[in-house]
Amino acid sequence: MYILKNAFRNVLRNGGRNLLIGAIILAVIVTSVIALMISNTASGIIDDYKSRFGSQVQLKPNMDKVRKEAQEKSTNGLMRIATPTIPSDQYIAFGESDYLQKSEYTASTGVNNDKITAIAADKGGGSGMMMAGNIGGSSGNKPTQFMMSLRGNQFTDFTEGTRKLAQGKMPSKKNEAIVSTDLAEANKIRIGDKLSLQGEVKNSEKGTTAATSYEVTVVGTYYDATEEYAEGAMENAYTNRRNEILTTYETVIQQLKPNMDGGIRINATYYLKEPGMLDAFAKELYAKGLDEKFDVATDEESYNKIVGPVEGLKGISVTFMIVVLIFGGIIIVLLSSMAIRERKYEIGVLRAMGMKKWKVALGLWSEMLIITSLCLVFGLGIGSAAAQPITDTLLAQQIESAELEAEEQAQQNSGGMMMGPISMSNSASSAEPLRNLDISLGSDTALQIIGIALLLASIAGLISISRITKYEPIKILMERN
Amino acid sequence: MSVLSLKGVTYQYEGTKKNVLKNINAEFEAGKVYTIIGKSGSGKSTMLSLIAGLDKCKDGTILYNDADLKTIDRDVYRAKNIGVIFQAYNLITNATAVENIVLSMEISNSSVKNKTDFAYELLEKVGINRETANRRVLKLSGGEQQRVGIARALSHHPDIIIADEPTGNLDRDTEAEILKIFTSLAHDEGKCVIIVTHSKKVTLIADTIIGISNGKITVFKENTKN
Ligand SMILES: Nc1ncnc2c1ncn2[C@@H]1O[C@H](COP(=O)(O)OP(=O)(O)OP(=O)(O)O)[C@@H](O)[C@H]1O
Ligand SMILES: [Mg+2]
Repeated sequence: MYILKNAFRNVLRNGGRNLLIGAIILAVIVTSVIALMISNTASGIIDDYKSRFGSQVQLKPNMDKVRKEAQEKSTNGLMRIATPTIPSDQYIAFGESDYLQKSEYTASTGVNNDKITAIAADKGGGSGMMMAGNIGGSSGNKPTQFMMSLRGNQFTDFTEGTRKLAQGKMPSKKNEAIVSTDLAEANKIRIGDKLSLQGEVKNSEKGTTAATSYEVTVVGTYYDATEEYAEGAMENAYTNRRNEILTTYETVIQQLKPNMDGGIRINATYYLKEPGMLDAFAKELYAKGLDEKFDVATDEESYNKIVGPVEGLKGISVTFMIVVLIFGGIIIVLLSSMAIRERKYEIGVLRAMGMKKWKVALGLWSEMLIITSLCLVFGLGIGSAAAQPITDTLLAQQIESAELEAEEQAQQNSGGMMMGPISMSNSASSAEPLRNLDISLGSDTALQIIGIALLLASIAGLISISRITKYEPIKILMERN
Repeated sequence: MSVLSLKGVTYQYEGTKKNVLKNINAEFEAGKVYTIIGKSGSGKSTMLSLIAGLDKCKDGTILYNDADLKTIDRDVYRAKNIGVIFQAYNLITNATAVENIVLSMEISNSSVKNKTDFAYELLEKVGINRETANRRVLKLSGGEQQRVGIARALSHHPDIIIADEPTGNLDRDTEAEILKIFTSLAHDEGKCVIIVTHSKKVTLIADTIIGISNGKITVFKENTKN
C-alpha cells in the first residue's frame, strides 16, 4: 500500500521528468487509439463485405475465351463474336444446389404495344439480344425489333435511390407492373390500366420463334433518374431505360416455352452458404452443363472498389501504429533507463533502509502505471476526438488514389476494348467506394489500448527491475560518498 | 550475551588488493555504547557497512544473535534489526523530512498506528520542528539532515544502532542532546549503540572504545561503570 502511495508522491515530486515520459507515452497512446479505432472499424466492414461479396456468385462470360473461340472459328478473317448465353432452364437448374442459401432471379424480354409510343421512338427499336450479333457476316432475316422491355424483379435501382415510386405501389403479384412517369405521361397511362404486350421467344439454334403475350395491370408509376442509356450501349427505344416496364419475375417467365432458349433472358445471382464453397459450386455448374466460356466468380471488382480504400486505410493505420510503437518503445526504454540512473542514489537509500528489490521495482513500475493511466485517460479522449477527422482525410486520400489508379488502368485498356456492347456484361463495376467510415471506440479497442498501455508501462518497469537487480546498495551509496 | 559478534572478519574492496579489515574479532552487547575511533581511511565506515548488512565480508562471519548475516535475509535485518546513521546521511532528498521517517517505518512494517504523528514526535526529539519536518531534505542544512538521519535510524526501534560520525555537523548543544539520546537508548532501553567518531566528547559516553588502525582493532577502554 505504502508503495503505491509513495509512487504517487514520486510522480508529483519528479514532475519535470515525468512530464517528458508522459508526453511520449501520450503520443504513443493517442496514435494507437486512432490507429486501432480505424483498423478495428475497418476490419468489421471488411469482414462484412467479404462475407457478402464472397457469397454472391455471378456467372460472367470470360471475354478472353470468347474472343479466342471467335478467332478459331473465323474463316474469312472477319470475326464473329457472340456473347455466349445461358439458357433460362439452366439458370433455374443451377439454383438447385446444396451449396446455396438462396438464389435471386431476374428476367427480361423485349415487348411491343401498338398503342404505346415509346420514349425515343424515333431512334427505332432493338432486338431482344444484348449482343452485337453479327459483325460483318449476315445471317438472314433481321430479328424482331422491340420498343420496350418487360423486366421481372429488377428493382435494384430503387434500393440504390435512382428510381422512386411516384404513384401507386410496387408490383408484388403476377401480372402487376409499373411504368416510368415519362412513359405514363407520354401515353396517358393511368393506374389500373391494363396493357397488353407482345413479345417472342425463340430457339437460337434453329432460328425459330414463337409469339408471346402478356396482360399486365399498371399498379404504379416510378420516377426515373437513371442514365437514359447504359454507357456504351446502342441507343434506341429498346435500350432506353424509360421504356422499362417493371414487373415480377413470375410474370415474365410465364411465357417460357419448351425448347425455346432465347427471347426471355434470365439472370440469377446465387448466394453461397459459405464463401469457401465457390470452387465446389463452380464444378457442379460445369457438370450441369454450364458453357466453359463462363466464369463462376464472386464480384471481386466491386468488392475491391468498395472496400479497397478502407483496406488501404487499415494498412496505413496499422503500419503507422507499429512504427510509433517501436519508436515509442525505444524512446521509453532510453528515457526510463536514464531516469533510473538518475534515481540510482534514491534506490540505494531505499535498499539500505531494507526495502526489498521487488518492492523497489514495484514502486517504480507503479509510477509508470500511474503516468500511463493518466496518459490513457487523456489519450483515449484525444484519440477518439481526433479519429474521425483523421479517418475522413485518410479515406478521402485513399479513394482519390484508387480512382486515379483505375483511370490510368482504364486508359491503358481502352485501346483493346473495341467490342462495343459486348463489353457491357463485363464492364467496370459501378460500385461506389465507401466514403464514410463511422469510427467509434468499441470495448475491444479500449481493451487493446489498455493492453498496449500496460505493455509500455511494463517495458519501462522491466528496465527498472533489470537495473535494480544489478545495483548493490553499498556500491551506490559508496559511489555517492 | 553479544547481540553482534565479528569473528575473523576480513574485507577487501572489489578491484583492490589491500585488506581494509584484517581478521577482526569483536563482540557487541546490548545495553552498551561503543565508539570506534581511528584515522581517516582506517576502515571505520567499512566495518559499519558490514555490520549494517550492506555488504558481505569475504572471510570470517558476523553473527547477529548467533545468526550468520550471510544466511539471514539482510533486507529484513536492515529494515527491522538495525538502524544506520550514515556519514553522508543518505536520505531521500526530494522527499520531506517527515516523509523520510514515515517511509522507513513503512518499510520496516512498523506497528505504530499514526506513523506521521510518531514521526513528528521523533523529529521533535532530535530538534527538528514541524515546519522543518515538512521541508524537503534538499532544503535542510547538513546538521538538520544529520538529525533527520538519526530520527530515521530510531524510527523502527532497532536492537542495534550504528552511527557514522553522527555529530560531525552539530553544534555543542545539539550534540549533547543527541548524545543523551544515545546513552539513554543503550542504558535505559537496552539497545546496542555503536558510534564512529573523531570527537572526544562522544568517546566520553562510551562504555567501550575500539580503535582501528591498519585494519586491526584494539579495545582501548573497557568501561566497567555499568
Ligand atoms: N568503494 C571503495 N572501493 C575501494 N576502496 C575503498 C572504497 N571505499 C573505501 N575504500 C578504501 O577503504 C579504506 C577504508 O575506508 P573507510 O571509508 O572505511 O574509512 P573511514 O575510516 O571511514 O575514513 P573516514 O574517517 O574518512 O570516514 C580507505 O583506504 C578507502 O580508500
Ligand atoms: Mg568513514
